[in-house]
Amino acid sequence: MLKLTPSKKRLILFIIFGWILLILSNQVGDLKLYQGSFIATYALAITSIILLTGYSGQLSLGQSALMAVGAYAGALAIFNLGLHPVIGLFVAALVAGVFGLLLGLIVARLSGPYLAGTTLALAVSLPTLANQFPILGAEEGVPFDVGSAPARFGEDFSQYKWQFWIASLAALIMVWFIANLLTSRYGRTYKALRDNPVAAELSGINVGQVKVGAFAISSGVAGLSGALLAVLISGVSPSAFPLSLSFALLGGAVVTGVYSLKGVILGGLVLVAIPEIADSLVLRIGGSEGFTTSLPGFLVSALLILAVVFAPNGPGSLIKREHHKK
Amino acid sequence: MIQQFALLIWGIEMSEFITAVLISLSSGAIYALMSIALVLVWRSTRVINFAQAGQAVLTTYIGYDIVQKTGSYWIALAGAVISGAIIGAVIDRFFMRPIFKRVNSGPIVMIAPVAATLGLLGIIQALIGFKWGLTNQSIEAPVSTNGIKVLGSVIAFSKFNLLVLVFVSIAVLLLTLLFQRTNIGLALRASAYSPEIARLSGIKVDTVRTLGWAIAGASGGLAGMLYIPGAFLYPNAMDLLLVFGFIAAVIGGLESLFGAVAGAMVLAFAINFATTYISPKLFFPTAFIVLVLVLLVRPAGLFAAKMSRRA
Repeated sequence: MLKLTPSKKRLILFIIFGWILLILSNQVGDLKLYQGSFIATYALAITSIILLTGYSGQLSLGQSALMAVGAYAGALAIFNLGLHPVIGLFVAALVAGVFGLLLGLIVARLSGPYLAGTTLALAVSLPTLANQFPILGAEEGVPFDVGSAPARFGEDFSQYKWQFWIASLAALIMVWFIANLLTSRYGRTYKALRDNPVAAELSGINVGQVKVGAFAISSGVAGLSGALLAVLISGVSPSAFPLSLSFALLGGAVVTGVYSLKGVILGGLVLVAIPEIADSLVLRIGGSEGFTTSLPGFLVSALLILAVVFAPNGPGSLIKREHHKK
Repeated sequence: MIQQFALLIWGIEMSEFITAVLISLSSGAIYALMSIALVLVWRSTRVINFAQAGQAVLTTYIGYDIVQKTGSYWIALAGAVISGAIIGAVIDRFFMRPIFKRVNSGPIVMIAPVAATLGLLGIIQALIGFKWGLTNQSIEAPVSTNGIKVLGSVIAFSKFNLLVLVFVSIAVLLLTLLFQRTNIGLALRASAYSPEIARLSGIKVDTVRTLGWAIAGASGGLAGMLYIPGAFLYPNAMDLLLVFGFIAAVIGGLESLFGAVAGAMVLAFAINFATTYISPKLFFPTAFIVLVLVLLVRPAGLFAAKMSRRA
């Protein structure tokens, strides 16, 4: 048998997964593709939270603001500078990463609630700042146009499928990159820092630098996911990135298991599926407007609490524990 | 002629300034209540209680129902404060405590309380949507909300704003007396500073904690009833208040009532002066800038305890 290093195994796994997605994308309808794009986007956003909170131990509530930064940067690069959409996505990740680096330099020495408070303040204030600058298009925002699929894919290649390809490919590559990063020597310093800051410092890890680095990388990932979200809703505006998005993503990260990247797609799936489940429930049992509008929030919150109580370390830990019992 | 004109300008500027000061005081007072609610819970349980926004809005809905039934704002105010205390105690006893017992090891400890209170916030807000619907409700203020006359011109500060200031001052005074002059206050402070030693000296730390949650809930209920006559009541009505209360608490250092009030005042003055004198669009950005500036100088807030303690 040929021996594979873990990183090669991971690459093969991601390629197989991508291939399955490619085949699936030719089988299912536009609605499923559209939902699939959202799942990929949310999964990527959740990855940025897991990287920051689960691995480097910093709690941020401002992920929606960083997503907005990426989305605006990408949209402006395409709309105003006329760059290619793919380069626009790179610009989104890069600008958000640099923004996160600057922010990290300010906030990385803060701990726990102080960091949470600062990022929370950022999440509520940044979208309102976007209204101040004419170039950001005020309430209407900036369009985010990835163009239509190249002609060689054929006439009946739908826009939804094109968006799905972009979103899932970008998410796959980024998650693969982050998964490699976290198992590298550098990634292990994150865990060391989270589990025992004093011991980490004693063994020569520059705590401040690692924290800022984690913040910057996480921001870059969030920025890319923000840009993808803007692609799916075909534009970016201040109201597209509310504080509630930060909270929802944090909930998704907890449901996924905040200390592992393995189930990240599950978090995205939950965030997309629950409104659908609520809709079909409402169709069946009906109810007042207050009931129907509040039901998705109720289900997400209930799931979040159940996850904290019964599977605090993610659904994976449940399976593992069962395994040990046998 | 020129003198008269100068006097007029001076009068306008003066009244603008006085308005800004008074409005800062009254909005700061409401932030302070929320900030106190968060600080009380944080220092006793190391939890940032995001559900406080839900608790406060739920008690305000209860107050709203009482107003509908009895027509009296004062009975509603008392009802909201009492129900706020009960809800706070119930949440600690039957929700937070079991979760802490269950989730007490591993790295999840850092994020579990945040996730739990966020989930609870969502549940409370959804339940409010189920019962009361999503339409904007309003509660009539017990006294006039029209501006009062100062220096011959009407300013945007009403009798109700004055009432808010008085009520919050009384509340803060009572809380200070409770904490500094009574045995219960001593027990509350002891279990906050060192649960282990408090337990050894015979204080029932868990019960005292529940009491802390109850006081925090009452404070949130008061904040809601004082806030809503000036704004609409809907399930998410207190989210903004929670954010500002939290920012105020962080500015103040998360440890003391004094810090909570001072942080709220710093925040309110900064926001109101920036929106009055620079641009009304600076409402939210000012909050962020003030917070970052304060934390750059003092990473643990303005009035943090000198000795750093374990989180």
